[in-house]
Amino acid sequence: MRILFLGTSSGAGKTTLDALYCRYLGRKGIKAAPFKASNLSLNSYVTKSGGEIGMGQAFQAWACGIEPTVDMNPVLLKPSGNGAIQLVLRGEPFMDITKDEPMDRDMVMEKVTESYDRLTEEYEAVVCEGSGSPAELNLQDRDLANLGMLKELSVPAILVGDIERGGVFAALYGTWLLIPEEQRPLMKGFIINRFRGDGSILKDGIETIEKLTGMKCLGVMPYLNLKFPEEDSMSDKEGKLEGSDTREAFMNNLDELLDEAIRDGLDLDGIDRIASE
Amino acid sequence: MTESETVIRKKTVIYVISADMILSAETITSYQGASRMELIAKKVREEIDRGWIGPNKECPYHPSHFTGQDCTFCYCPFYPCNDPDLGENIVGKRGKDIWNCTYCLFIHRPEVGKFVMSEIKRQNITDPRDPRIKEILPVAKEKFFRPGKAVMILGATSDAGKSITTAAICRILHNRGYLVSPFKSQNMSLNSKVTREGAEIAMIQVLQARAAGLKNPDSHMNPILLKPRGDTMSQVMVEGKPFADYDVKGYYEEFVPGPGQDIVRRNVDFLKKRYDYVVMEGAGSPAEINIYDKDIANMRAAEIADAVCLLVVNVEWGGAFAYALGTVKLIPEKDRKRIKGIILNNVRGNIDNLKEGAKELEKIAGIPVIGIIPHADLFLPSEDSESFRDKGSVGNGKMVISVIKFPRIANFTDLDPLMLEDTTIRYVEDPKQLEGSDAIILPGTKNTIDDLKWMMRTGIGDAIKKMKGKVPILGICGGYQMMGRVLKDPNGLEGRKPGDTPGLGIFDNTSEWDVYRKKVVQDEGIMIKTGEPVTGYEIHMGMTDVKEKPLFRIQKHFMPDEDEGSVREDEMLFGTYLHGCFDKPAFRKYFLSFIKHDGKPVKLEDVKDYDDILEDNIVKMTETFESGFDMKKLLEILGAKE
Repeated sequence: MRILFLGTSSGAGKTTLDALYCRYLGRKGIKAAPFKASNLSLNSYVTKSGGEIGMGQAFQAWACGIEPTVDMNPVLLKPSGNGAIQLVLRGEPFMDITKDEPMDRDMVMEKVTESYDRLTEEYEAVVCEGSGSPAELNLQDRDLANLGMLKELSVPAILVGDIERGGVFAALYGTWLLIPEEQRPLMKGFIINRFRGDGSILKDGIETIEKLTGMKCLGVMPYLNLKFPEEDSMSDKEGKLEGSDTREAFMNNLDELLDEAIRDGLDLDGIDRIASE
Repeated sequence: MTESETVIRKKTVIYVISADMILSAETITSYQGASRMELIAKKVREEIDRGWIGPNKECPYHPSHFTGQDCTFCYCPFYPCNDPDLGENIVGKRGKDIWNCTYCLFIHRPEVGKFVMSEIKRQNITDPRDPRIKEILPVAKEKFFRPGKAVMILGATSDAGKSITTAAICRILHNRGYLVSPFKSQNMSLNSKVTREGAEIAMIQVLQARAAGLKNPDSHMNPILLKPRGDTMSQVMVEGKPFADYDVKGYYEEFVPGPGQDIVRRNVDFLKKRYDYVVMEGAGSPAEINIYDKDIANMRAAEIADAVCLLVVNVEWGGAFAYALGTVKLIPEKDRKRIKGIILNNVRGNIDNLKEGAKELEKIAGIPVIGIIPHADLFLPSEDSESFRDKGSVGNGKMVISVIKFPRIANFTDLDPLMLEDTTIRYVEDPKQLEGSDAIILPGTKNTIDDLKWMMRTGIGDAIKKMKGKVPILGICGGYQMMGRVLKDPNGLEGRKPGDTPGLGIFDNTSEWDVYRKKVVQDEGIMIKTGEPVTGYEIHMGMTDVKEKPLFRIQKHFMPDEDEGSVREDEMLFGTYLHGCFDKPAFRKYFLSFIKHDGKPVKLEDVKDYDDILEDNIVKMTETFESGFDMKKLLEILGAKE
């Protein structure tokens, strides 16, 4: 099983949904691992082997009931100020990316693929997360975590849209339109996140998007005050975890959240089906 | 003021007829001395004798309408013109029809004032009652009267930057000599302001009117204002007055298809007759396809106004290209044609990085990207309740000011000027958060009694009582009412149930909601202690029987002054109904002077007038937008001269 959670913007909720699905598979006794090809973050976690990965994948690994490894986030990009970005490859600092010295995208994608392949061999399920929006026209040719996963690894995807700011239908449709035509068939479903109020009001809109894109709606999730480690470099530092044991607090929170998501009708069977295709 | 006998009070508005100031029709009829026509004739004769003067910058009321106005005819030589393009008949107090041209700006257009005076001179007219004067109006209209154009700023999301873009376009057009009005058909806001007529409109349209160079924003500019009540209902204000309460369903199913569309139409039409441009702001996203037919704030309003549209997308969160394209593509063809340009807003970093993507977007969407606007740190009020909710505190200054974050908090833009000083504004929802406060403010609320009960339940109320005398405590509006001994609501008008609710009891005042009435008024006055000016506005139901020393004196032109607010300086307790009391420097300086660090008052640097700060920021904002716009293309789309 493999699945890719993409977001229509930063903070759309892909990290959360990824972790929820990891937890759900863990509860079912399915051996699952998280994966995020590339992460732009200053917020990193050091694995037992001493490698650096994005914080989000560490939490997601715990949600799966396993220890984080560097394969789960083979590329970590750490902005080091003055325009340079440190490339951490499979947990180790590799180079400073600058204007004059760009990243060798193909070489890096090869490493990404190796890590991904190792995980698919070792685990029954790999739960992947995209990065930012997959529809950044100015970044698409260099992209690893979104289009890279679709183009080079053919992972079926679910698009998460944040309704809180409005324009979610436009965001879902626009993102789908900007996915290259050959990869669009991999776009299997979408989830509307952070909805408050009576969901029936969305019905017509959801049907239109399903008809226009062929993606299936897998859930309308309510607004939940998530206490997740924020990992996008743009997110602020709100939502800190309380209590001394961060990991335990996170797991308790996640369990509650998953129960709520199930109550609120998140179509986990539907996600299972897409992941098993 | 010399001719004080000519001053009349109209409801809450005062028009002065003595100085060189415009008068409204209703005030003229209420004029108690000579007949109104005699008065006007006298004034017009003086004007003709004086000749063309352009803007009268000497006048204490200048500009009474808009920056750059012509003041040659402070009194209109055509009154009453009975031209439906310029005014309307209203029923006066004595039941007679009166010609009302309060909102007419025609005679104040620079080209019109000059032309009319030159015609009067050319024809050697000296008598204001010369019938040839009336004949000049149609000629002037033929030459200069054109219905205005409309442009609408749409946003791909809330918080895309619509309000600021609207304000920037207002200023860009105003700078090019156009008469410009902002407009937002429907605004959901907890921050309303009071117009000179005593109508409530959203704070942000008042800011946009300022950007447009207008002195007196009015309710046409935001004819529908929804004020969330804190439950699932919103109070719907129409043209500045309470209309009815609706829930979401009722609003979309009853209000919108019923009175909603007509309200939008008549107000847009009204503004188009008076302004060269009506710069309209959309609401949320225009592509909410589930409610598309019921949305009167976006494409329906654009259609009614026949507006060209510009779409703003906030680049900050990522996915901007998708948001832009999806928005354009989900809007049906007939409406999509109106969208003439896309604006990528709030770009941090190098804007060149986006240029190629923008080109590709143009190709796919079929609409040009007319601006890539860099991020700018602006000090402007924000409508943005979303970000407010998530914020624990704002600023990083030495003086920690705790603001009680009522569940139904309202008019919190009152606090914005405090951010000009060396402050940290901390939003308090828990008594523990009050620790280390240098001052406490109880802000306005949409429901005083419910929020008072919340405050007592959380323990914040007791914590405040304990801090009495240790730090300065200020209540504004609802927060002021709460500071009193008791809040009486015998008919259950404010709370859910009739009855009395004990207040904090730190003032000896009593507030009462006896009958359903609301005080909505603009105020000007002084701080009693120093005589320095304060301005603001009151919006409240419930009246307070004050047993304390007053804080302010409200000056009612030619009416007796009124005392306002409460103060106990020895206990550092302050209360007022005046929203915006921190705008002028005097009260801000005074209140903060009670804050002591290590026993010494905190030094305040150069305390500035908030109005000046806003103007500086409007200028900065406009420069930022002009730097990012393809100005030639923008002006071409707007049909404006360069």
